[in-house]
This record gives sequence, C-alpha cells and structure tokens, in this order.
Amino acid sequence: MTIQAHRKFSFSGGVHPPERKHLTENRKIQHCFVPKQVSIMLSQHIGAAAKPVVAKNDQVKAGQLIAQASGFVSATMHSPVNGKVKEISLQPHAVLGRSQAIVIETDQQNNPLKTPPKDFNENFDESSFSIEQICNAVAEAGIVGMGGAGFPTRVKIEPNPSQPKDTLIINGCECEPYISCDYRMMLERTNTIIAGAKLAAKAAGCSRIIIAVEDNKPQAVEVFINALHKNGKNIEVLKLKTKYPQGGERQLIKSVLNKIVPTGGIPPAIGLVVLNAATAAAVAEAVVFNQPLTHRAVTVTGEAIAKPSNLYVSIGTPVSELIEFCGGVTLKSAKVILGGPMMGLAIADLSTPITKTTNAVTILTRNQIGDAKFARRVTPCIRCGRCLEACPEHLNPTTIAHAVKNNMLDLAIDYYMTACIECGCCSYVCPANIELTGYIKTGKILLARQKKKMPQ
Amino acid sequence: MLSEIIVSPSPHISGPFSTRRVMGDVIIGLLLPFIAAIYYFRLYAITLTATCVISCVITEYICNIIRKKQNPAESLGDLSAVVTGMILAFSVPPSLPLWSAVIGSAFAIAIGKMVFGGLGSNIFNPAMVGRAFLTASFGMLMTTWTVPATIDSAMPNIGLGTNSSYSDDVIARTQATPLGYSKEAIKSKTGAKEVEKQFRPALFGEVGGCLGETSAVAILIGGIYMLIRKTINLHTPLAVLISTFVFAAVVNLIKPDVYISPLMHIASGGILLCAFFIATDPVTAPLSVKGMWIFGIGIGTITMIIRVFGEYPGGVMFSVLLMNSITPLIDRLCKLTPAGGKPNA
Repeated sequence: MTIQAHRKFSFSGGVHPPERKHLTENRKIQHCFVPKQVSIMLSQHIGAAAKPVVAKNDQVKAGQLIAQASGFVSATMHSPVNGKVKEISLQPHAVLGRSQAIVIETDQQNNPLKTPPKDFNENFDESSFSIEQICNAVAEAGIVGMGGAGFPTRVKIEPNPSQPKDTLIINGCECEPYISCDYRMMLERTNTIIAGAKLAAKAAGCSRIIIAVEDNKPQAVEVFINALHKNGKNIEVLKLKTKYPQGGERQLIKSVLNKIVPTGGIPPAIGLVVLNAATAAAVAEAVVFNQPLTHRAVTVTGEAIAKPSNLYVSIGTPVSELIEFCGGVTLKSAKVILGGPMMGLAIADLSTPITKTTNAVTILTRNQIGDAKFARRVTPCIRCGRCLEACPEHLNPTTIAHAVKNNMLDLAIDYYMTACIECGCCSYVCPANIELTGYIKTGKILLARQKKKMPQ
Repeated sequence: MLSEIIVSPSPHISGPFSTRRVMGDVIIGLLLPFIAAIYYFRLYAITLTATCVISCVITEYICNIIRKKQNPAESLGDLSAVVTGMILAFSVPPSLPLWSAVIGSAFAIAIGKMVFGGLGSNIFNPAMVGRAFLTASFGMLMTTWTVPATIDSAMPNIGLGTNSSYSDDVIARTQATPLGYSKEAIKSKTGAKEVEKQFRPALFGEVGGCLGETSAVAILIGGIYMLIRKTINLHTPLAVLISTFVFAAVVNLIKPDVYISPLMHIASGGILLCAFFIATDPVTAPLSVKGMWIFGIGIGTITMIIRVFGEYPGGVMFSVLLMNSITPLIDRLCKLTPAGGKPNA
C-alpha cells in the first residue's frame, strides 16, 4: 500500500462553494423506519427502463425481484419491503416529471426494520469468488452508480476484451456541498468498501486500485490507511485537493492519473473503471451476501431541516416521509433538492421517491440560495468570461447558453454543447445570475428530441 | 410544512459575484486616480467627474424611459453608467467645459451603449465612444492641457505653456503633455532625452494630461486592487503593457534621441488607465484568455503605431475602438477546445 499526500496535477477550472458538511458529517448513518408505501421507479439509471415482473395485487417479499433489466444497459429492481403491489403507475420523477413506478404498500405487521449491515472483516479475501460470479451477482442485485449518474455497474466492471482495464478508482471525493453520506460510509463501512473495490477490480481485471478522497475529509483518509495496513497490497490512498467538481469522473481521472478521457468517451476507453464509494460497498454486499440494492444511505440536510441526519433508507421512500422523520422543516424553506445544491434536482412534489442514485435530500432556505437567485434577478451577460474560466471541461458556457436561448442549436453544438458535464460551475460564478447550466441542459434535451431519443 | 417550493435548474446556490460588485470594484479601483486628480487639478477633477457621472446616469435613465422599460431605474443599479462616466471624465482634459462633458457623456451612453440594447450588448467601449465624439467635435478643447495646481510655472526648459483662452478660471495655465513633447521630439528628430526628464512627475501625476491619466502610480494601485478582488484578470493588462513596452523599446533602441524610452511611454498618456480600466471592460473584450492576449497586444501595438507614426500624440482611444470592432472575430478565432479534445464525430 502506498499513500500519496497531494497530487501535483489537478483539473483546471472548478469552483469552491461553501462546504456546509458540518451539518451532518458527524452523524452516524442511522436506520430509520419502514415507509408506509414505496414507489420503485422503473427508470432509476441510465439506459432502458426495467420491465416489471409483478402485477397488481401480487404479494412481494423484501429482496424479491420485481422488475427485470430490459437490455444491456439497464438494471433490475427489487422490493425493499414485504407487502402488496398496489399499482404500477406514473409517479413523480425529478427529471422526467412523471415516470412509471411499481407502488408497493407495505405490510405493517410483518416488516422488520432493515438495519445497515455490519462492516466487513479486514481480512476479506476475494479469491473465492470467480469473475463470472461477481458480475452475475452485481447484475442480479441491480447495482448502478450510486453517485448520481446511475450507470449500471455490471457494464462498467464486466471484462471486455476490446477494452482491457488496468486501474480501478474508488471515488470518495463527495465534492458536492452539504452531502456526507459517502463520507459516513467510508468511516463506518471502510472494509466493505475495500472488499467491494477488490471484487470489482478482480472482475474488471484491474491490477491497481486507487482510493481518492478530497483533503477536507482527513478522517476518511486515515481510516483507509489503517484498514489497508494489513491487507492492502496494490491499493493506494490518494488525497486530492478540495475543489468542486473533483468527484466528477473526468475531473477525478485527470487529478488522479493526469489522464484525459476523450470527449464523448467513457473511462473504460482508456482502461479505467471509476466506482463511487457507496457503489463499492453495494458490490461487496451483493457478491458476498447476495443482497440486492434495496436500501442506501441518504443525507437529509440543509439549514431548513430540524434534524439533519444520515439515514439508511428503503429505495422508493417518499421524500416527505424522510423530511417528517428528520423533524420537519422550518417555515422559511424554499427549495427541496434531490442531491446537493450544485447538481441536485429541485422537486415540486414531495411524494417523489428516493431512487438508487439519490444521495441526499437538501432543503435550502432563501438565505442560502441568495436573494438575487431567489428572485431570479437575471441581468444581461457582461461577457466577463468567468464561466469560461470556471468550466472544468474548457467549454464556452455563455456562448452555448445564449445560442440555445436564441434557438440556434447548431451553433451550440458547434461549441461542443454535448461535452458539458452539467456540473453547474458556470451558473455558480455568473455575476449576472444567468442559468447557464439550465440553458445548456435545455439544449441537450432539445437535441435529444431532435434525434428522437426522448419523448416530447 | 413548506409554504412555498421553488423549482429551478441546478445549481441552487451562487457565488459571491454580481454585476454590481464587479462594477463597484471598478469604481473603488478608480477612486485612487480620482484622489490623485483632485490633488493635481483641484476643483476641475470634482466638477468634471461629477458632471460626467451624473450625465451618464441621467442619460441611461432617459434611454430606459424611451425604451419603455417597466422600471427605468433598474438598470442603473448595476453601476455601469457610473463607471462609464468616471472613465470618460478621466480621459478628457481637466479644463474641458462642463457643457461639452455633458454632451460627451450623453453621447457615450446613448450612442455608445443604449442603442445597442444596453449593458452587455454594446460593441464599443461607451466611454471611448464619448471621447471619440468629443475629439472629433471639439478638437481644441480636447487638446488644451491644464498645468497641475501643484507646480508654479510651466515646465522648465521646454516651456510651451500659454494661457488658456477657453477657461475663465484664473489659475488655468496650459502646457503640452509628455506625449505632446514626445511628438515634438519625433518631429524635430531630437530631444527625447529632455522629455524623459519628466518620468518622475509622470509617475506620480505632476504633468499635464487627461484628468485621471496623469498619475501612473495611482492607476497601478487601483489596478492591483481590482486584480486582488478578481474583478479583472492579469491577461489583458499584461498583454497591453508588454506589447507597448516591446514596441517602444525597439524604436527607442534604434533612435534613442528621437523616441522616448518604453517606461516613459507606459507612464505617460492613457496606456495604463487603458490597460487596467478600459481594455478590461468585459463587454467589449474577448471572452477567452487567448483572445484577451490578442486583444491586448492589438491595443498596445496600435497605440504605439499612432504614438510613433501618427498625427495624434496619444492613440489609446483609437486602438481600443479598433480592437473593440474586431472582438467578435477574435472570439470566433479563439474557439476553445474541450478538455477531452475535439469529439471524433
């Protein structure tokens, strides 16, 4: 095992938003409650929506398969609770507005509260599992990237002769402000994450594992170092500069290995696999305990919530129940966000369920949002170029955004709109308060519609 | 429970910058040259600056009424009209009659900015448009230079001072600016060394010249303040100053007796104010770093061409306006390549 303090190289651009992790970073992941009803979205991941294999009024058990993957890039779904399928209907979805979901009414009498599993032993040995076993277990458990994008993990780690992979990076950056669930996972489930990393590395054929953590989480670095003392050959721990979006896959790779993922490409193209820390833990549990991904750690935070906490919740739990469990909100709250304030999705309907990719529920007050942003006071672009400076992908956000605004999609594409990672740095620094990221996202949706990849 | 929920695209928080803060920092940066101007030109500095600022603000307000804005005062809040007024005031002679300052300010805002659609849409630096208008219309007034109130007599040795016929003010005496003398030296093919004796006064501002341009040190400190506040970046000022310096150094090396030294060039005239406060006007400058360098080098070079070969002693205004006009082309030329390289498709 080697530990490297700071890397010389980093990605250019980026911003330093206030971290505000103190609200929850010292709160253990606690098990909470069995929700009255869960809605399992059929589309929680990138790729084709899952196909339900249960029908209305079917009885389901916790951990039972309820929807099948419907393609290569897709994922299975499992019921987190014992109960009865109430309906398969449209439910509020943070991105799509409404989307198909399996709604399960929980059996109130017969439902043990699922507690977070114990951490692994530090002497875990991956050699008793074959590559095939690992890949199948990951696919059957329906594991997708839990950091936000939701790319099916099986596709990432499966051996692919045309794209051999050599290095696995465990992403423990958690660069989004407020969120601390990955941090807590790293502290409380250190060995599970390491075990998952070893299993994933074995499946993918990676000989080198790098655990990357931002330097604002020194404790996480320390626990990894302690855990790796005994059984950690080929595993490196790397402290990275705290900068948003350090945890963005492309930025992470640049910072860790000084390698560049080609525009439009994915990390396997240059022989890399990047897994979020929570995803690695889920891999370990799926392979060793055959446990499907039905629960995850979620940070419920923000200045507007009475008791900010890290909770171990059933996927499908409505946001409103989590807020209630955390003591409700203060009156001044203004925005409910699935995820963090930089990339999270503001929701209007509090019955929106938690998905596999939801790492936080952040509730902001007007003070945090800022008066100008709250009132959406947008002034004209003064072409100051701050967005160009902040863009980690070296794009020209203002030109792209204004091209989209003026209905010139061709011009936006010409300025590499599709290379945008939607990190939000441009909007964050904009002195004129222009929703640059919003326009660029709109442009991407318009383009997808043009190509008929998305419903009208 | 929740009284109201707002839904908007991410990100949901924003950084500390606002247009008003950017402009406010420019104004703070301009305060030191303003104080220097008050020290050297006394009442002229206060009345002229106040007149320009107030005229600019009122013109913008009137334009907003004509444009049927719901709240005509709203756009004044970004303080850009104040900045334009200050820069215009700083780049005209101290003794400029107030009526012409009003006309220049109105022209700067109305024709330089508002007809294009207001802040952010203008092609040319409004203050420079106003100054160009004044130069074209009131040439004599724009070349009558007041002697700083801190010196008793006109420049020793080169005393070209005459009494101003345009101002009733009893203390108004005029003299040529260092750049004026430099032009004389170029025409008579000798005497550059004499002009260089004014280096120290030019550094601190004890020379004739435009109201806010004489004190190099004051402008430099104001510029450094803006750099620290990240209101401007280093690229444009560096590009302007390095190109000016190199051009001046080359001609100075060839004929040291005819052309003044590069440091003298930088300390005199409007090049420093331009480098930190005019060329850095974000609206009319290119977006990318590479573009800023092209823009800055263009300004420095054109300024020096005018100073060395042209009819006018100083050339900042023309060079800024010329480079402003090709800013869109520079932007197109300096298209960024994404971090991951150009996509293959």
